[in-house]
Amino acid sequence: MDDRSLYALTVLLTVGALSYLLRALPFILFGGRTEPPAAVKYVGRVLSPAAIAMLTAYCYAGELLKAAPGTPALAAAAPYLAGVLTVALQLWRRNPLLSIIAGTALYMLLVH
Amino acid sequence: MILRRAFRDSVPVLMGYSTMGFAAGVLLAVEGGIAWSPLWAAATSAAFESGPLQYIFVDWVRTSLSIGGVLLVTLCVNFRYALYGLSLIERFKGARLWQKAYLIGTITDETYALQTACKLKGRAYVVYCLALTLFDHLYWICGVTAGAVAGVLAQGAFSQARVEVATKGIDFAMTALFLVILTDQLRERSNRIPALIGFVAAFAACLAFGRANMLMPAVAFIVTAFMGIRRWLDGR
Repeated sequence: MDDRSLYALTVLLTVGALSYLLRALPFILFGGRTEPPAAVKYVGRVLSPAAIAMLTAYCYAGELLKAAPGTPALAAAAPYLAGVLTVALQLWRRNPLLSIIAGTALYMLLVH
Repeated sequence: MILRRAFRDSVPVLMGYSTMGFAAGVLLAVEGGIAWSPLWAAATSAAFESGPLQYIFVDWVRTSLSIGGVLLVTLCVNFRYALYGLSLIERFKGARLWQKAYLIGTITDETYALQTACKLKGRAYVVYCLALTLFDHLYWICGVTAGAVAGVLAQGAFSQARVEVATKGIDFAMTALFLVILTDQLRERSNRIPALIGFVAAFAACLAFGRANMLMPAVAFIVTAFMGIRRWLDGR
């Protein structure tokens, strides 16, 4: 097995295990009769939107790094323009698939 | 019949998972630089059913990010699945251990949403949830694997460079996915301040620690901020 495959296997096993553990955590901690403390429930409620916002910013930080200097303006603006389209479509039609496909299509178009 | 009901409810997920999965699979085959990509596509999509992670996985394989970094990202991306469980504990109480084990392992946003929306009770509910989660899991695995196979075949038919050019930009699908989830969450007023905190935290962490290391500090900042303003925020 070459290096990359070995790495992939390691990732597969560790990420699989961690993912399972995370999903199982509330069942392990609170699966009995104990009620989760109010603080945990509160963090649970507010963490989700914050995490998604954080991840979106993280994606954009990556997109930002992708534009090599000298990229034409339209291509450099692609992640933002495509992003606006995605959000606008989602607000208007509430169809996730449509929003994602349209946004990605626009991005691919602009980046070429 | 419960199975038919579960299938019917899962059709939107079928559409979404097969296409999103397909794109992730293509990316893995074309840009991952790993041999036997369809095999890895099938194995990883089965092991940690997660859209964002499936895309990020391509990045990892290509750059050989440290396992520590890999686990950190996994923690941040999948942490919300830990919270879904909080509302599922009660609902899964009737299930047998092996059923619970599978139900837990395949918790995703969409599966969770459908399971919490279903009004069935007791044993019928457990059967519904099992069927649903199995369907969703299969849609995902088949989508990602099919994408990887397509990517491999395309590379066989065209040069690597041409295929890469053709598929360039498909990775924006991940960003688009997050944007869509975020947009839907922002409809709800009580989510807006948390989202803002998330953005600010990410921005600050990126400036202070660079993009590669920003997620953990960002999460720490977020949790600290939440505990700090809890009296104000939780009153709503």
